[in-house]
Amino acid sequence: MSRASKGYDRGVIEDFGRWREFSAGMWAWIFHKFTGWVLVGYLFTHIAVLSTALTAQSADPATLQAGEDTFTQTIQTLEGQALVRVLEVGLLAVAVFHILNGIRLLLIDLGVGLEAQDRSFYASLILTGAIVIASVPTFVEGAF
Amino acid sequence: MAEHYSSFARGGTSWLLQRITAAFLVVVLAFHFFLLHFVNHAADVTFLGSANRMAEWGYFVTMVLFLVTATFHGVNGVYNALINQGLSGRGKQVVKWVLVVASALLIVQGVRLALALQGGVPA
Repeated sequence: MSRASKGYDRGVIEDFGRWREFSAGMWAWIFHKFTGWVLVGYLFTHIAVLSTALTAQSADPATLQAGEDTFTQTIQTLEGQALVRVLEVGLLAVAVFHILNGIRLLLIDLGVGLEAQDRSFYASLILTGAIVIASVPTFVEGAF
Repeated sequence: MAEHYSSFARGGTSWLLQRITAAFLVVVLAFHFFLLHFVNHAADVTFLGSANRMAEWGYFVTMVLFLVTATFHGVNGVYNALINQGLSGRGKQVVKWVLVVASALLIVQGVRLALALQGGVPA
């Protein structure tokens, strides 16, 4: 049995009164859960907004061509709001961290990099920050 | 410290499916963000533009698989996180079925809108 599958008592990790005791691996797990909750919540919201396509599909070709259908108008109204653009940057941060830490978890499950799992968590955080900062101009273009 | 933290019991079906869907989602979620924020600006998304993308069968199938795997991965993650935090007994059964129904509704609605977009290119 590998060290990775060894049982242990980690106590109640959700007790944030213990946060000073948390190791890098515990923070990675908490961040992965938090970003996962945000992403699954967003998935339901995303499908709800895109469902305006069901109304838009019956619009006449001229309305679609002019972008005056419900789908296009809903998206462009939302994208016209600065708050939505800022929230999208937050969504990008959440998604990029979940992807990078997810790759880290897949590798650890395959037995790769377990001994460096704290450093790979810090690398995920730094890379997430770099990608998000580099993406801000594209995400907020035309909104302010 | 080389401890591995996870909400999943290693080696189970739920754990394995979470990893398989993760490997797919890592690629497709990155592609989705890149295509709809960098190649096409999100503010410029229109019904006709989306319909043209969905008219490509490869894109349509990828998006439907994206919907199904993301729903499974997200809901399975939530369910296992709750079990990991002590959910058990009747509450566990109730949460399980609420999540199953919510997932089914989300997938049905997602496929309906994907079909609406796919058929939305004027002849």
